[in-house]
Parts: sequence; C-alpha cells; structure tokens
Amino acid sequence: MSGTGHTVKSYEEEMQSLNDNLVMMGSLTESQMADAMAAVIKVDKDSVDKIVKNDGKINELRSVIDNQITTVLVKRAPMAVDLRITISTMKISHDLERIGDLAKSVAKKVKPLPVDLPDELIGSLRRLGDLVQKQLKDALDAYLNKSKDKAIEIWKKDEQVDDLTNLAMNEVATYLQKDKKNLEMATHLLFVTKNIERAGDHITNIAESLYYLIEGEYLEGARPKGKPIES
Amino acid sequence: MELNNSKIKIKAKNLNVFYGKKQALFNINLDINQKEVTALIGPSGCGKSTFIRCINRMNDVIDICKVEGSVEIDGAEINEKNVDVVTLREKVGMVFQKPNPFPKSIYDNIAYGPIIHGAAENKDQMDNIVETSLKKAALWDEVKDRLNEPGTSLSGGQQQRLCIARALSVNPEVILMDEPCSALDPIATAKIEELIDDLKKSYTIVIVTHSMAQAVRVSQKTGFFHLGKIIEVDSTEKIFKNPANKMTQDYITGRFG
Repeated sequence: MSGTGHTVKSYEEEMQSLNDNLVMMGSLTESQMADAMAAVIKVDKDSVDKIVKNDGKINELRSVIDNQITTVLVKRAPMAVDLRITISTMKISHDLERIGDLAKSVAKKVKPLPVDLPDELIGSLRRLGDLVQKQLKDALDAYLNKSKDKAIEIWKKDEQVDDLTNLAMNEVATYLQKDKKNLEMATHLLFVTKNIERAGDHITNIAESLYYLIEGEYLEGARPKGKPIES
Repeated sequence: MELNNSKIKIKAKNLNVFYGKKQALFNINLDINQKEVTALIGPSGCGKSTFIRCINRMNDVIDICKVEGSVEIDGAEINEKNVDVVTLREKVGMVFQKPNPFPKSIYDNIAYGPIIHGAAENKDQMDNIVETSLKKAALWDEVKDRLNEPGTSLSGGQQQRLCIARALSVNPEVILMDEPCSALDPIATAKIEELIDDLKKSYTIVIVTHSMAQAVRVSQKTGFFHLGKIIEVDSTEKIFKNPANKMTQDYITGRFG
C-alpha cells in the first residue's frame, strides 16, 4: 500500500508474514473448494476424507493469524493503512476459515449421494460451483493486487451466485416432486447448494473487507440480491 | 466529529516565523475550534512548538524571532502592537513538557497569577480561587491538607497538574500544552488525559504530542507538521484511520526516515 517500508524492520517483517499467511490460507481454501466441488460433481467418495483432513490446516492458519494480529495490535498499535490491513486481515481470515468449513461440509455430503447422480441435477450445481470458485480466485487476486475495482465487481457479482443458487434449488425441488423416493438425495443436494451459496456470501465479505483496506471507507448500499425462489 | 458545526476560536493565516535567517514556519493556515482539543503532531523540529508559541506570543521573548502573518483569537488580531501580552497570556495559558512549578508553596503557585492580575480582593477570595483551580485540575483532594508545602515536593504528575491549575487560576480561554505528558508515567499520563477530556468542556486546548496514541485519545482534530509546513489537518479519526496525504501516513505508521 505504501511505497516505503517501516523504519522498524521487525514491524515490516511481522506485516509481511501476516500477508504471507493470509495468501497461503487463501490458496488452501481455493484448493479445498475446488476439491469439494469436484468430489460432488464426480461423486468421488474416496476424496472426502482428505478434504475433511485438510480443513484442519486452514483452521490452524487462522489461529496463527489471530495470534499474529494480537501481537501486532499490542506491540505496534498500528495506525492508518497498517490498522486497516490488520483489521481486514483478521476479518478475511475468518471468512476464509468459514469458506473452508463450508467446503468440508459440501464434501461430507458426497458420501451419502448415489454414484449415478442424474445429469439434470448437476448442470446448475456445476455452474454455481464454478462461479463461486471464480469469485474466490478473483477475490484472492484482488487482495494481492489491492484492486478496488475488482473488489466492487466481486461484490456485485454475488447477485449471480444467488440467482444460480435459486436455479439449482429449483431443479432439485422439481426432481424431488417427480418421485418422493428422491427425498434423501435431494435433501443432501439442497444442503450442498446452500453451502456453496453461503461460501459466496463470505467471498462478498472478503470483497468488502478488501475495499475497506484500500479505501478506508465501507462499501455503501445494500448488497445486491438475486431473485427469490419462485414456488 | 461535528467539525463543521464548531466555532473557530483561533485562526492562523499565512503565518511565517523566522529565527534569524532560518525560517521555522511557512505560510501556516490553521483553524482551531472552540472547546475542542486540537493535537499537533510531527517530527522534532517540524515547527509545532513554534506554532503554539505564536498563539500566546511566547516567541516575543526570543530576540531573533520574527513573526509575520496573522493569528486571530475570536476574530481579534493578537499580533497588533497595542495588544497587551500579559492580558493575552492570561487568556492563553501554557503548560510545558517538564512540570515547572515555582519554588513556592502549592498555594502560592496558584495564587501567583491572580495576585499579578489583581483577581482577588481578600484572602477568602484567593482561597476560593486556589481551591477552585486545584479542583478543576483534579488535584485538590491530593493536596488540600498540604497547601503550604513546596510545589516541588509533589510527584511529577502532581506537579504537572499543579501547573495546569496555575494556568487555570487566571480564567484562561485557551490552554496550550507542549508535550505535557512526556515526562510522566502511564498512570500520571492517564490522569492528565482524563483531565484534558474534562477541561475541553470549558476551554479550547491545543496539545503538541509525540505520542500518536495520545493524539488519538485526547483530540478531535489533528494537524501534521513537517519541515515548518502544515501537511494535513483533519478530524483525528480521519488522520489516524485514513489520512489523505502520503507523508502523514508514512509518519503515523512509522515509515519516516
């Protein structure tokens, strides 16, 4: 953010390490989301345990970041951009950790799914998963480049996530109406869909935190919302 | 931060100050709001102390010092020749970095100013001024039973509050504080800061401080000085959360030099 580094080198190193850990956490979360989505689409039950296990690494990093932030606050009493970086990093790391949890939840739903998941249920879910992964990647890139415009774009795009969520849920509901025997599978898929949508909301939070970090102001106005589900 | 609704108490316009050939302040324009705390920050030698010394014409005592431009208090120019500096300094009190009580009793430290200004007609009135001033400076309870002891027998923090009480004894409107807590421990500092919070209800306060945290805690408006120029003035909240100027940001985040 600022061209020159801190006069105190150890302060500079602490902020750099905080940044590195957040980037690492972002990258792990991105992989987890990708793996979880792939597991659902392919109904790959073998990958589930690994995804569940990997979530622990994200949680660990969040603890590390929390500790680092407490140290920076108490040692440096950060001001201006440093204060905004510290606060935003704390918030972003918590959102990433929640996205990690949601990826884990998505993966856990793969085990009870039938291996021959009908194509008509996968289309919208795949598109939703792709969009949320793209949003997450864009958010992490925007963080690296400190791009305000990209943050706004991501924030606005959550509307599309909501729309796709509604579409995917409608498809599941329609499938369920055809045959009540589909109830268990449909319920799992609805949870999967909702979890992906919630990951999208956390990405929107990240975009907001990033905007605050860059601009020192909060994104104004209500979040864009998708159309409600039509029954 | 209702900066726009505040009344301007002190207005510096195109203020230049020279020590001999060396220019210490360059074209300073700064408004100080009434009954608010304005903090002045900046590296050593940036001119912030020189600036506050212009508000009560303390620079007059330095032979080689020349002040150009204008400082108005309540719209009246203080640099006019006919302004009585004793009256001005009664209106604009000052507290310094190191507590500097007179080598007199606690009582006499407070009574000294009112005696010079003829503020009391009898002992009762003077007793009243001493008690009120010490109460306003949150020192009365600690010294009421030892008013005849020397001011210098008090602790550093108490001495600084004694100096504040001394400034208050002549009913000032403005109090200038030049790093008032830099020689004090955290508890004494907290007491002074608490006092500043209380005093701003009745007085306009300008404080020079090297502690960013203190500027954030006590002030509503902050001005950043650098090399004799004012770089940025804004609400304290804005300055410390999101300053507009990169130099301000570099200074308050420790990226200077």
